[in-house]
Amino acid sequence: MKPRLNFEWLHGCSGCEIALLNSGELLFSLFQLVDIVHFPLLMDHKYIADPGEEGDLSLPEADIGLVTGGVGLASHLKILTAMRRQCRVLIAVGTCAGHGGIPAMRNQWTAGQTMETVFSTATTDTAPVPDGVPALLDRVSSIDEQVRVDVCLPGCPPRPEMIIAVLEALIQREEQRLPHKSVCETCPTVRTGKGQATIHRGTVRAAYTPGEPLDRMRCLLEQGLLCMGPVTAGGCGGRDVPLCLRSRVSCRGCYGPVRKYGNQLLDMMNALASNGIDYRTIIDRTSLLRFSGAHGRLRPKGERK
Amino acid sequence: MIGHNGSVDMTASEPVGAVMVIGGGISGMRAALDLADSGYYVYLVEKTGAIGGAMPQYNKVFPTNDCSMCIIAPKLVECGRHANIRILTLGSVLDIAGRPGDFVVRVRQKPRYVDTEKCIACGQCSAHCPQSVDDPFSGHIAGRKAIYIKYPQAVPFKYQIDAEACLYLSQEGKCGVCAEICPPEAIRFDDRALEEEIRVGAVVMALGFQTFNPAVIKAWGYGVYPNVITSLQFERYLAPDGPTSGVLHRPSDGKPVRRIAFLQCIGSRDKHHCGNEYCSSVCCMYAIKEAVMVKEANPELEVTIFYTDIRTHGKEFDRYFERARSETGIRFVRSRIHGVEPRGTRGDLRLHYISVQGRQVEEIVDLVVLSVGLETADDMVSLADRIGIQMTPDRFAAISAFMPVHTSREGIFTCGAFNGPRDIPQSVIGGSAAAASVAVLLSGARHSLTRTASFPLEQDVRLREPRIGVFICHCGTNIAGVVDIEEVAAYAATLANVVSVERNLFTCAQDTQDIMGQQIRDRELNRIVVAACTPRTHEPLFRATLRSAGINEYLLEMANIRNQNAWVHGFDQQTATAKAKDLIRMAVAKVSGLRALHPLRIPITPSALVIGGGVAGMTAALNLALQGFDVHLVEKTGQLGGNALHLFQTWSGEHVPRYLDGLRSEVVNHPRIAVFYHSTVVEVAGHVGNFTTTLRGDSGRRKTVRHGVVLITTGAKRYIPEEFEYGKIPKVVASIEFDKLHMHNEARVARGTSFVFIQCVGSRNQERPYCSKSCCTHSIQSAIKLKKEAPSRRIYILYREIRTYGQRERLYNKARELGIVFINYELHGPPKLSRERDGVLVEVWDHVLHRPLQIQADVVILASATLASPDASDLANLFKLPLNADGFFQEAHAKLRPVEFHVDGVFVAGLAHYPKPLEESISQALAAAGKAGCLLARKEIALEAYVAQVDPGRCDGCGLCIEVCPYRAITLVEYEDEKGVVLKSVVIDQVLCKGCGICQGTCPKQGVDVAGFTCAQIEAQVDAALDDTVAEGT
Amino acid sequence: MNWDAKIIAFCCNWCSYAAADLAGISRLQYSGSIRIIRVLCSGMVHPQQVLHALDKGAAGVMLIGCHLGECHYLKGNEVALARAEVIVDTLEDLGYASERFELTWVSSAEPERLVKAFHHMIARLADLDRGSPVFTAGGAGRLINET
Repeated sequence: MKPRLNFEWLHGCSGCEIALLNSGELLFSLFQLVDIVHFPLLMDHKYIADPGEEGDLSLPEADIGLVTGGVGLASHLKILTAMRRQCRVLIAVGTCAGHGGIPAMRNQWTAGQTMETVFSTATTDTAPVPDGVPALLDRVSSIDEQVRVDVCLPGCPPRPEMIIAVLEALIQREEQRLPHKSVCETCPTVRTGKGQATIHRGTVRAAYTPGEPLDRMRCLLEQGLLCMGPVTAGGCGGRDVPLCLRSRVSCRGCYGPVRKYGNQLLDMMNALASNGIDYRTIIDRTSLLRFSGAHGRLRPKGERK
Repeated sequence: MIGHNGSVDMTASEPVGAVMVIGGGISGMRAALDLADSGYYVYLVEKTGAIGGAMPQYNKVFPTNDCSMCIIAPKLVECGRHANIRILTLGSVLDIAGRPGDFVVRVRQKPRYVDTEKCIACGQCSAHCPQSVDDPFSGHIAGRKAIYIKYPQAVPFKYQIDAEACLYLSQEGKCGVCAEICPPEAIRFDDRALEEEIRVGAVVMALGFQTFNPAVIKAWGYGVYPNVITSLQFERYLAPDGPTSGVLHRPSDGKPVRRIAFLQCIGSRDKHHCGNEYCSSVCCMYAIKEAVMVKEANPELEVTIFYTDIRTHGKEFDRYFERARSETGIRFVRSRIHGVEPRGTRGDLRLHYISVQGRQVEEIVDLVVLSVGLETADDMVSLADRIGIQMTPDRFAAISAFMPVHTSREGIFTCGAFNGPRDIPQSVIGGSAAAASVAVLLSGARHSLTRTASFPLEQDVRLREPRIGVFICHCGTNIAGVVDIEEVAAYAATLANVVSVERNLFTCAQDTQDIMGQQIRDRELNRIVVAACTPRTHEPLFRATLRSAGINEYLLEMANIRNQNAWVHGFDQQTATAKAKDLIRMAVAKVSGLRALHPLRIPITPSALVIGGGVAGMTAALNLALQGFDVHLVEKTGQLGGNALHLFQTWSGEHVPRYLDGLRSEVVNHPRIAVFYHSTVVEVAGHVGNFTTTLRGDSGRRKTVRHGVVLITTGAKRYIPEEFEYGKIPKVVASIEFDKLHMHNEARVARGTSFVFIQCVGSRNQERPYCSKSCCTHSIQSAIKLKKEAPSRRIYILYREIRTYGQRERLYNKARELGIVFINYELHGPPKLSRERDGVLVEVWDHVLHRPLQIQADVVILASATLASPDASDLANLFKLPLNADGFFQEAHAKLRPVEFHVDGVFVAGLAHYPKPLEESISQALAAAGKAGCLLARKEIALEAYVAQVDPGRCDGCGLCIEVCPYRAITLVEYEDEKGVVLKSVVIDQVLCKGCGICQGTCPKQGVDVAGFTCAQIEAQVDAALDDTVAEGT
Repeated sequence: MNWDAKIIAFCCNWCSYAAADLAGISRLQYSGSIRIIRVLCSGMVHPQQVLHALDKGAAGVMLIGCHLGECHYLKGNEVALARAEVIVDTLEDLGYASERFELTWVSSAEPERLVKAFHHMIARLADLDRGSPVFTAGGAGRLINET
């Protein structure tokens, strides 16, 4: 009998799901590996999750649970708790589930400020917050802040190959072999250790000779472009060239911090400052935590402790 | 017969492999360390209770403004714990018998009255001692007890009793409180003087100096007016660890100081008052330094330095002076003050002087600092007399410029200020040079008397669970009097991995070491925590204990519960006890994660590459060859000699060409020296111990040499003047050209009746803000010779400052006595030259007569600057060495490492380092050879244990750490994984790495860590400090 | 002062650690809040360790190196200085009061200066925490919806 699988989607954009569904034959290998018993995006499975409503979530029991997205609403927490309860192994899929992801950028403001900005400022409407909008939790958290998580599989989105590989390893009871080094590991650009004294604005493009292979291009960070590669978990390109680099664009940091408790903002600024680079030339530093604002890293500005 | 560099025919018998160094100041310490490091047993005789000499008294040192204590403390400790240095404190040499290679020295040690084996320097004796006396260490501005340590960082760190001040010793048994309270019972009132006869092969006299006592001359009011102090006292006022904690106030009334006057040349350049005719060389710089320091701390202060000439002739000194003058607002007045008077009764002081404009000026200040000179103490002069070495009229050791560390008695060497007044780097160079010269004399006895310890086989702890032993020291009552040791010990036993907890009265005592060893074996301990005093003094001791017990010495962590706990929370037992638990918990957390470390040992190729065949290069090459090492000497021209080929005499009148001939023939005939003419270095690989260098000869042929060390002696070149009509008027010549004309008595000279020397041509200007150091002396010597040949000749020297430093001052005095005219000019008003009939018309502003002066000159001699060698930058790149702004090689540390670089195994000497006279080049070359010899004398070198290591599981070669490494030890490499994917990683050169951990602080993924201080270990300590449940055992 | 939070002081082996020893020899007294951790150079400390200590409940973190120009390793303290700016800025970015971090220079012969620096830091932190509950361990990762 094949293992049973639950799949839930919390505070995310559906990118993880689309990537998986769009992966062609790989999707069929998923179907061959497991019996999907709960996957609201694919299957019509009714359950109660709305806030305020009474009653237990009626999720089926499963051997493996995949969760995408972080936790931003009370309903997310409810579903997540139920997933944890019903699944023997719980896997955080994608950067939102693992590190908060883009939605966690709102942790720079209070929930009230966020609601006001979205619904009641001049750029949108000046109306009050409409009824029926579910209340936000005070901040967006990754799922491991709320429940125990067995495997964390980052990516925005993660490579479908990696999802399948993780499931395969799990079923075969093999050791998980997730990438543990940074984007630089498989980046072929030329590094000398000597960089620019300042960091260019985002509008500056990489310098390279058209047609020249990537392994002849100078490291983007050394060119003075803010490449997040050194502080970001690798794996986006498999064992091949990282994805953004293939387009000669610097890494945005979407796989989250390379070290489990690393801080992409602090680690990056520190590495720059240590090398004598004027890190204050970087506009909107906090956006370096754009993918990893959970775990209490991003906090409302006024909240100094 | 003594050859150059002092090689002695030693056919008689094997020399003794021990050396006595007399004097524990910086010069003597350097000599002792170099000798002990190169295979000789050293007896270091110090007349006071602790080594260190004068440096510990200084607040800062010029021109780096380093804290003096900070830089000397590691050297003190190194001397104190060196297995092959025996320090004899309170010692004096009575006499020396025997011959070179085999002397017998009689040494007398005064009683200390404290058993150094037992004293733990807790200071309780001093705290309870009722008797206070003036403290000479502070220049008598503060007191100390009758039982005392000379200064807080003293080595040996043991108390001593001043017998004259002690009530018990001077008044027959009164008091004795120290003996009653001393926790380890170390007081020995029955201690007696000890006389010893010591056999050594050579003696180094580093007798040092004393500062001139200005009280002997009434005019300055020292000892009469409390607000007249010496520069040494001022130094103690400024010192943060001094009696006023660095706060300056008027000694008379404790009020803040508003106006300070420094008076220069007190006890120097002063034949009439005190007979010290020489210049003390260091006072201008130290006065400027003190002025800068006090001005920085109190910007509103008015500071004036009254000087005769500003003698800032050393490396970076003129820049320091210029900054002081232009940026800090210190006023410099060229005038010699002959008296200080009181004004009123409130302690103000009045100074009279005649300004440069010739006016009488009166100034009121509230503090006068006398910049006292250096002189040889009477007892040192009589020691020299007893030993039978010659002295100069200025009461310094008589030396030849060619053999600057040899006394007149064979086998007895000399260094430091005893050789003439000099600053710290010169003294350090002297110490190393003396050691190098001893090494030649005693090369046959190297390693014959030194000891090396042997240790049992080390157990492998890699696969074992940590079994931690905790040893908690009572330190008598020092710790136990404040910390509840019983409670702490019970707590320590509950911590994870702790299998044994012991309490000791004195953990450092020898019997405790035996107990520790026994415990380690009995209870199979594999990691040790010692909760006691500071690792800075005691870690080496406990490491040795670990080694003797067969575990790796790095599996030790100390919890500093004395200096950083019991002593700083002396009134709060609860806090101290709680903190002691925390500190032990932190140490246990760290020690659990420690790994055994085995410092890399690399073999050494026992040969040297010397680049540059001038006097410095030849001197170094010959010294190393005579020490028994092979030398490759590279010279870019076709002949040896360098700049000295243009010199005729030294400042002391010794004949250079004859010396040069002798040196050259010794070098080319020495079987261990291979000279490569017309050759340059084109490629370098390797590092200390094992360099591979490619040379290119003039035909383009390449040759590769392997060597363990490199000496850079590439010299300098002379400045070709662009000013003063040089090259346009034939009667305007550079001084080197003039020397040749003079020697051949060429017509211009022979018939000349009027000569003008112009100083500082190309030196001390905007473009080259440094002093070329030897030109003043050189011009004055030429002038004297001209004048002596024909006293009717009119000779003028146009100068900016006359810098006949040290004993050269006699030349200046003689020149003036002979009627040579000295005229001062300023940088902004240089002399103007024009052709006139068959001579030259020189126009210059006369500051004494206050009008322009016209001189008809037959010959004008330009004292042109010394420039850095243009080849220096190529060589600097090849060996990764720094150059200073003037293009000279930048040594590792201006004060204490004057011939080394931060790159190990590379040394510098001579003009490549900075302009200097021949004597100093030779001294520096010997020092460089000495340092090189220290390395070559070992068969292998052990590198740092605390070096950075790459974690291959984490490093992905992002390269962010490469540029941050100050030692260029990190490089990027590519490798293939098992699937053939090309990956990158950094690698760290274990030889170049010094373990600073800047890489560790930079790496975003903890991919590189310094062993012993890894991120994980530091975090374990942080966690343990903050969470008292974290390390508790189950 | 009734304030018992802990302060981590990373002290350079060559200067401030020696000054701390000397403070003991001179019997200078200071608060029991300080926990000194010996490092080889101020340039060795990664800002992450400062953040880590605060996350784990330290009231403050001090990094004490040699005076500029006196680094045993040429430029470690200069790098530490550059990083200190990052730490100050980032602490604010991450919602910590940057007063919780202090970089200062103390030579091995300046025990008074060291003790002054300790006093000053403690006063500053006590001020900061006055009126608000002393920040305790676990606070950094604390989620509002947990409470």
